[in-house]
Amino acid sequence: MAAFESLWEELAPLVAKAERPSRYINGEWGCVYKPEADFRLCMVYPDTYELGQANQALRILVNRVNACEGMAAERGFLPAADMCDALREAGLPLCSIESCAPLRAFDAVGITLPHELAATNILEALDLAGIPLHSADRGEDDPFVIGGGPCAFNPEPYAPFFDAFNVGEGEEMLPEGLGLIRALRRQGAARPEVLRALAALPGWYVPSLYEVLDEDAAQQAGSWLSPLAEGVPPVVVKQVYGGFADSPAWEPCIVPYAEVVHDRLNVEVLRGCARGCRFCQAGMMYRPVRERSADNIVESVMEGLAATGYDEVSLTSLSSTDHSQIAEILARLNERLAGTGVRISLPSQRLDAFGVDMAGLVAGQKKGGLTFAPEAGTQRLRDAINKNVTEEDLFGAIDAAFAAGWRRCKLYFMIGLPTETDEDVKGIASLVSRAYDRARKAVPPDQKGSVQISASVALFVPKAQTPFQWDGQISPAEAARRVSLLRRSVKYKAVTVNWHEPKTSLIEAVMSRCGREGAKLVEEAWRRGARFDAWTEHFDEQAWADAAQAVGIDLEAAAQRSLPSSYVMPWSHISCGASSEWLAAERARAAEGRLTDDCTFGPCSSCGICFDLPVRNQLAAPRGKGGAR
Amino acid sequence: MSDPRLFRLRATFIEQGRLALLSHLEVAHTLERTVRRAGLPYAVSQGFSPHMKIAFGAALPVGVGSTCEIFDLQLTEYVALDAALQALQKASAADLMVQDCRYIEPRAAAASVAFPFSTYRVECADPVEEVQVPASVTVVRKKKPKELLVADYLAEPFAVDGCGATFTLEAKPTGSLRPDVLCGCCEFGSPVVSITRIAQHA
Ligand code: SF4
Repeated sequence: MAAFESLWEELAPLVAKAERPSRYINGEWGCVYKPEADFRLCMVYPDTYELGQANQALRILVNRVNACEGMAAERGFLPAADMCDALREAGLPLCSIESCAPLRAFDAVGITLPHELAATNILEALDLAGIPLHSADRGEDDPFVIGGGPCAFNPEPYAPFFDAFNVGEGEEMLPEGLGLIRALRRQGAARPEVLRALAALPGWYVPSLYEVLDEDAAQQAGSWLSPLAEGVPPVVVKQVYGGFADSPAWEPCIVPYAEVVHDRLNVEVLRGCARGCRFCQAGMMYRPVRERSADNIVESVMEGLAATGYDEVSLTSLSSTDHSQIAEILARLNERLAGTGVRISLPSQRLDAFGVDMAGLVAGQKKGGLTFAPEAGTQRLRDAINKNVTEEDLFGAIDAAFAAGWRRCKLYFMIGLPTETDEDVKGIASLVSRAYDRARKAVPPDQKGSVQISASVALFVPKAQTPFQWDGQISPAEAARRVSLLRRSVKYKAVTVNWHEPKTSLIEAVMSRCGREGAKLVEEAWRRGARFDAWTEHFDEQAWADAAQAVGIDLEAAAQRSLPSSYVMPWSHISCGASSEWLAAERARAAEGRLTDDCTFGPCSSCGICFDLPVRNQLAAPRGKGGAR
Repeated sequence: MSDPRLFRLRATFIEQGRLALLSHLEVAHTLERTVRRAGLPYAVSQGFSPHMKIAFGAALPVGVGSTCEIFDLQLTEYVALDAALQALQKASAADLMVQDCRYIEPRAAAASVAFPFSTYRVECADPVEEVQVPASVTVVRKKKPKELLVADYLAEPFAVDGCGATFTLEAKPTGSLRPDVLCGCCEFGSPVVSITRIAQHA
């Protein structure tokens, strides 16, 4: 095993010359050092420091592992492109932040898989670290490479690169598995033996312990994978952190020197969202809904601000304004923070007048822009995707926002959603035009000129583990046609339509839906120079196209083909808790335009999570009128 | 700047080790957070986006360390100096440690203009015998090359001693010559290891 020692002296001259040196120096406020530990994890975010530092999963998992006696966790990030090249040229390996020790010298390397465009960065990081890219090529001295996060819900295109995956919330599962690795290593167990033991732990998926079937056999067998050994589960079920609601909302964090995204105190007020939008992977992945109490949240915010010195706190979750006590929480925080200059922010606005009221509670005098996400332009399509929002909700929100002083509003839509017709596309134009009319009516006559309404349009990407997982993406040419139809249908010049040429959406769709053959594609693309695919200035379309040709994958077909709901998908051995039957039933309801209730307000719709796992929705107070919908 | 009801605290701090690599803006953000962590009763501006009333001294180039950086903070209440210092030190990183603080007059000049002269120490790898200083240095301002006469800025010449030298630069209202840029154009007969600001004076 590589020696666990600081390489700072060697790195320092490179850091001094790098763009933004503060990405690479350690010693930020809140860092934890455990030199006495005998087992070490490096948690890696596969992109640069400024994108990964504030990542919630990274922060929570580092804290959880550091809380274990004798175990230490440090952070690692992919250096920016200039530094990746400088490291290679100097023959230096990728190092952790805290100890500046080579990743190779850690017992385990955890890599979070935040989105579909991080795959080549994972190979870039492993290669820079000098860790063999393939699990099969790793020896007794190499670290165990463990993946987790959203893309672990379809881990197949990453499978050969990882020794194991954590499916679901890692708070308990990761320390448990690391403890097992440590104990077995102490007893001198060899790598294959450790992997077999990990596979028996709930939520741990060890891809090398399965045989991959061909398509016909998979459809026959009802799964693409067949366990190769006893004790290896045919289906890995996601883990849910049962103690979430009662655990402190103050999660100790590191205060960076460099400017990073989400550079503020982030307090997770609730986890999960049961609204049931049929395109949304997060909504399926993080069920059920668990709220932390108002007391917990308010005290945690005060504690976190005192410990970090931040001047902004964000109450994070998938839908913070759905918290049953949100009005109380914001009122109490406003009172406690009066006169301190500390701002409160909510990551997204709920699309109704109540959402605007809540935004008003945190906006103070400064009213920038509001963003809402109706997602679709007609009621028919909004019902099909189960976006339970009416025109009344949207216009109520617009009236309230512009009367309260906002002058800018951005509306998010998706194009290419299953069942979308030209009427739905024109519906977007009609909706934003009418929103513009409403907004102008709601402001004083002399301010009508300052009203700005814009529509931001993204291409639908089918995601694994959602009711729309079987639905194909529309082709780039068709997307261009629909966007131009939309542009032509908007009747006001003042309403802008933003559409970013979605070259990456195709890769996202392929990565989201492909099976293990996708790993060959990723590796080939990386070998042809693809990295930082999520960065417009780095995305190399040609490298992916050439790679696809080289490995014999038809990208367009992989992204665009629609399949019957009976088709067994390549991730059917990974369960997010919502059953495949329920997902198929939801897809059928979409076709009929039928809504499904949010089970935190209405009845259980039997997605199945609460049947298979010892968890339930856990609300701090009943959701209902008053605070919530 | 001169609200007579406020107390004006001037603190000095060091910037050393890896933290010498921070930009002026990064240091500024860090100090604001330090003040909040210290729990001092800082004043907040009125208006659309209220912010802490804090002001910083002359910027230090990335990579140059210091033993004498300055920030001025306005407080709404008087805090005993040793209590203020203790609170700030507890909230500071070791390489960005507050060294001392004192109250200054409400009308005293801002930290950024009060001390136009800065003395720097440049350390080299081996003993230095003499420093060859160019007559002029070309810098890029607003994407255009501009020639600066060293004599206009070098208030005190390089004094050689041991493995390095000491020199003083004057900041002009029209601009300044960066110490690292100057040293990069000088010949020391040995590689430069570090540059540190060791004094700021009027
Ligand atoms: S099983 Fe029922 S109550 Fe539980 S998350 Fe699914 S729909 Fe909601």
